[in-house]
Amino acid sequence: MAISDEDKKTFRSWFFGLLIFAIVASILVGIWLHGDPHFKNSTVVLKAAFTFGSLLLVFLFGVVVLAALASGLIDISELIEEESGGTSTSRFQLLIFTFVIGLSFVIVVTCKCEIPSLPANVLALLGVSATTYGVSKGIQFGGKNGNPTEDK
Amino acid sequence: MRSLMNLARWEAIVLFFGFIAVVLWKLMTGGISLSYLLDSDIPDADSPTAFSSDVSAGRTQLLVVTLAVAAYYLLQVIQNPREFPQVPTTMIAALGGSHALYLAGKARTLLAGRLKDLFK
Repeated sequence: MAISDEDKKTFRSWFFGLLIFAIVASILVGIWLHGDPHFKNSTVVLKAAFTFGSLLLVFLFGVVVLAALASGLIDISELIEEESGGTSTSRFQLLIFTFVIGLSFVIVVTCKCEIPSLPANVLALLGVSATTYGVSKGIQFGGKNGNPTEDK
Repeated sequence: MRSLMNLARWEAIVLFFGFIAVVLWKLMTGGISLSYLLDSDIPDADSPTAFSSDVSAGRTQLLVVTLAVAAYYLLQVIQNPREFPQVPTTMIAALGGSHALYLAGKARTLLAGRLKDLFK
């Protein structure tokens, strides 16, 4: 689906608006921390302000994407669909595994407060799932005279 | 610095659960269609597209095994959230076998005609 010029303009204005908001917020936090007697070193103040600004920016981008997904501005109705309709089982299982591994990662990181190393069996789980999706697409492409628009 | 870590933690939780909630909500309300999830293509000379669809045992077993492995994994993480759980090798093998079965069935259905033509 092509993005219209008006949508592009809206995305651009949101992007720069959020960027400016995050920069202003991090400057304000920097000024506030500078007045705090616990923060005597200005490098630490700068680091804290920059980290806060980055965190805020990432969060705001995430919220905008979430709102666009929920409102339908970003269309995900064909997320697990084949090109010509009907749900794809291989896409659905890939979605399930991506969410389960992602959720596990968030849970482990929030409980342990560090980035854990990924065991080989987790990578194997994701590998099996993603390979099935890839091979399934290959079979489908090959089985219908190599024309992806005639899928399903 | 501790408050920044807490902020990052809550951001990750809110955004990730937000994404999951939006996708689940769309799946439940029909915003993301699940129709024909268990159907596969079958060669059909009478159909204008040369294919018709019917419920597939391969897809059904794939879905059941996938849900079972995903639920097992999630339960292990919930029971011990401080590290990634060890998945038994037999379970990965079972999952691989299930996926192989699904792919073999799909290949047989979609590529059998072409292979026959090839060896004529």
